[in-house]
Order: sequence, then structure tokens, then C-alpha cells
Amino acid sequence: MDTFIRFANQTQGRDRLFRATQYTCMLLRYLLEPKADKDVLMKLKKLESSVSTGRKWFRLGNVVHAVQATEQSIHATDLVPRFCLTLANLNRVVYFICDTVLWVKNVGLASGINKDKWQMWAARHYYYFLLLSLARDLYEISLQMAQVTHERAKGGKSSSGDPLGHSVADEMEWLQSFLLLFRSLKRHPPLLLDTVKNFCDILIPLDQLGIYKTNAGVIGFGGLVSSVAGIITVVYPHMKLKTC
Amino acid sequence: MGRGRFLRGEVKPGYGGPKGSTLTTGACADSEPQIRNGRDDSFLLPGKMEKLRAAQYACSLLGHALQRRGASPDLQKQIQQLESHLSLGRKLLRLGNSADALESAKRAVHLSDVVLRFCITVSHLNRALYFACDNVLWAGKSGLAPRVDQEKWTQRSFRYYLFSLIMNLSRDAYEIRLLMEQESSACNRRLKGSAGGVPGGLETGGPGGPGSPGRGLPQLALKFRLQVLLLARVLRGHPPLLLDVVRNACDLFIPLDKLGLCRCGPGIVGLCGLVSSILSLLTLIYPWLRLKP
Repeated sequence: MDTFIRFANQTQGRDRLFRATQYTCMLLRYLLEPKADKDVLMKLKKLESSVSTGRKWFRLGNVVHAVQATEQSIHATDLVPRFCLTLANLNRVVYFICDTVLWVKNVGLASGINKDKWQMWAARHYYYFLLLSLARDLYEISLQMAQVTHERAKGGKSSSGDPLGHSVADEMEWLQSFLLLFRSLKRHPPLLLDTVKNFCDILIPLDQLGIYKTNAGVIGFGGLVSSVAGIITVVYPHMKLKTC
Repeated sequence: MGRGRFLRGEVKPGYGGPKGSTLTTGACADSEPQIRNGRDDSFLLPGKMEKLRAAQYACSLLGHALQRRGASPDLQKQIQQLESHLSLGRKLLRLGNSADALESAKRAVHLSDVVLRFCITVSHLNRALYFACDNVLWAGKSGLAPRVDQEKWTQRSFRYYLFSLIMNLSRDAYEIRLLMEQESSACNRRLKGSAGGVPGGLETGGPGGPGSPGRGLPQLALKFRLQVLLLARVLRGHPPLLLDVVRNACDLFIPLDKLGLCRCGPGIVGLCGLVSSILSLLTLIYPWLRLKP
């Protein structure tokens, strides 16, 4: 109970919980739509929208944090992560600016704002942010895989000969790559968590921008998984992928 | 802590945003990139909550000022809308606070001083009940429980808030009393040490035998004046205590107005709420200003 309260008392912790609730509602609505009562569906929709609206208050001021994160990522040691993360964070700054403009429109402080245009911009920059984050993740994964291969080669486990012919060798290679990927990710849980989070999150702008349309169920599930991954990084800070 | 005020006729149960705002449709979603800075942001939540509270009371104050000066109804409506958004948003963001207040009450039970233990524990318990009522109000306003009697639960929540503030002020009064006694006995020791003793000392406030009724009133006035000076000295020497007293006193106007015990008007309530939020922010920025325990 004490851990839960400490977790819920952090901004990120509480926000992740709300986000998980929001996407759970979306998922439940999709799953229950054919059979459930209209009343239940209405309540789920209301909960989802009020949690979503309330969370916007947490996001005010995130532009500042995003700028700080950009400054941090400029100092990353490796070239590829430095490039990817800096660009990603710059896109995130623009996303938060668009988000703030949309919030101003939603609370009724300014009426002359073209909501659809700003929503598209926000979605686009969020998409670029996630793409670049995934690119960084893939780079780190390839490094890990190279390291694992190197260690295995040093350990004397050389790749076996191929007595059975080409086609079987192809399948073995595919399986070996998959196992290598699996081992690399197992060695580095923060990287796995970050990749899963980015991959689940990217479904949202892919749908919004019309690049890859899915449905509310897939998005809800993806959002829920990424929120849970986010909760894990808050509860266990060592699981957060560091900028180094 | 907030007023939980809603504008009758403006905010209907189930209100989740102004007309034309995004109710999250299937694909829209609230896509938020996470802030991944490795630092512990446990202090950021209270800061954010206090800023939102300050913004809400600033809107209330501004709305009242605009009304007095006869500003355009459009602008007044905008400010009112913003204020109601803030109020509902804060209710959602406060959803975890009840459990937190209970935990604080559990911790306060282990304090050594009996009076402090009682005051602080009861204050936290009342706060927990206030937040619980607030959660019910949120459920009602966001449409999850439309049959909630808003008026009844608002009154209930402000009653608990009032009790909590009374306990806080009692605790402050107790601390002030202790410090005044300490200060007064320290002064006595200094006087006795420097000039072989002054008859009567600080407590009696000066000479005056029991058989002199004509001197009663001036003696009382002098005694009162000395007590006030002592109080001022104690508060000047203990900024955290002074800040806590001012904060609780300002906050007191909010439930007093809402429960109809002391109708001060939205302007005063807004100003008091804003001042107390600013003082809370100060204690977050400068932790030494926070009253311990």
C-alpha cells in the first residue's frame, strides 16, 4: 500500500495510472460494444473523456521538460543515439507546443484556432518522435546482438556446418537471428521495455494520420500496454532506458 | 485543497469539456510522449496541484473583478468556463489523495507530543474524508454516477475541510503557546540575571497589588500589549509557523463562505485561496519554510 501511494504521489505515476485507465476504457468499449448495455458504454466513454481532459492539466508545462530533455540528449556519447534522441526530443517540443495550443482552444480561451490542423501537426510530430526513438532502440538492439554474437564466438560456439543443404540453413539462420534478438533483449530489460512502449505508442499516430488504420481495440490495447510499461519504469527506476 | 465549486446551471452532470471539444473518439486518443528524465519528480506533483489551485482562485478573483467593472459577458463566460475546467480537472487529479491523507494520519499517530498527535491525526483524517467526498463529487460531475446529490456532498466535503482547518489552527495555537511560554521564561531568566529581579516579571506585566482596583484596566491593557508583542516576536522568529497560520487562516474563509457561516463573497474567497496557494508553493520551493512534523 505504501509503495502504491508513493508511486501515485509522483506526477508520472499518477499520470500513467490515468493513461492506463483511459486506454482500458477504450479497449473495454470496443470489446463490449456488440453485447453491452448502452448505459455502460456511455459511462465508459464519459470516464475516458473526463480522464483524458483532466490529464491535459498535467501536460501543461511539459514543453519546458522536453527542452531540458533535448539539452540532455545533445550530450549523449554515441553518435547515432545523440542524433536520434536530439531530433526526437525536438519533435516532442513541437508536439507539446501544438498540444498546448489545442488545450487553449479546448478550454475556450481562444476561438480562432483551427483544431484539425493543429491536431494533425501534433500527431505528425509525435509520430516523428516515436519513429526516431524506435530508430535509436533498433540501433541499441543491433549493438546488443553484435555483442552477444561476439561473446558467443569468443566462447568457442562457432556456427555449425551445414550437412543438410541450403533451405534448412536459411531456416536455421532465421531462427538463430530470432534467438539472438531474444537473448539481446533479455539481457537488457530497459531496452525491451522502451522498444515495446514506443512500438505500442506508434499505433496511435499511425491511425490518426491514416498511415495504418486500426481500430479502437488495437489502439486501446497498445495504449494500455505502453502505460503499464511506463508504470514499471516509474516503480522501478532502474528499468528506465538511460540517455548515455 | 480546493473549493470544489461548480457553477449551477453551467456545469451539468456528465460535463467533460466545452461544446466542440474532443471527447476521445476511437482513434483520437490522448497520445502523450512520456517525459523520460531520470530524476525523481515526487515533489513535482504537489507543485503542479498548487499551481492549478492558484490558477483556479486567480480565475475566481479575476471573474469577480471583471463582473464589478462591467466587462463583456463573453470574457466573463470564458473565465468562468476556465475556472470550471480547472475545478473538474483538479478533482480528477486529486483522486489518489484520500489514501495519501490516511497514510499521513497513520504516520502522525506515532508523534511523541499528545496534543500534536491528536490535532495532526484528526486533521489528516478529516482531510481524507474531504477527499473521499470530493471523489464522489467528481464521479457525479463526470457522469459516472449521475444520481449523486451534488449539493449534499459539496456541503459534506466542506464540513470535513472546515474541521481539518480548525485542527490545523489548533495545532498552530498550541505551538505558539509553547513558544510564547519558552520565550517568556527565557526573558525572565535574562531579566533576573541582569538586574537582581524585577518584581512581578513579564507574566504579571508590572507592579500592582491585589488591593488596587483602580489600576485594574491599565494593567490589563499593558498585559495584553505585552502578550501581543510576545506573539509578534515568536511569529517573527519562526517563519514556518507564521506561514502555516496565515495559510490556514486564509483557507478558513473558503469553507466558511461555502457553508454559509460567513458570507464574504467570491472576491474575498478568490483572494484568500490565491494567497494560501502561493504560500503553499513557497513551502514547496523552500522546504525549510515547511512546518514540521
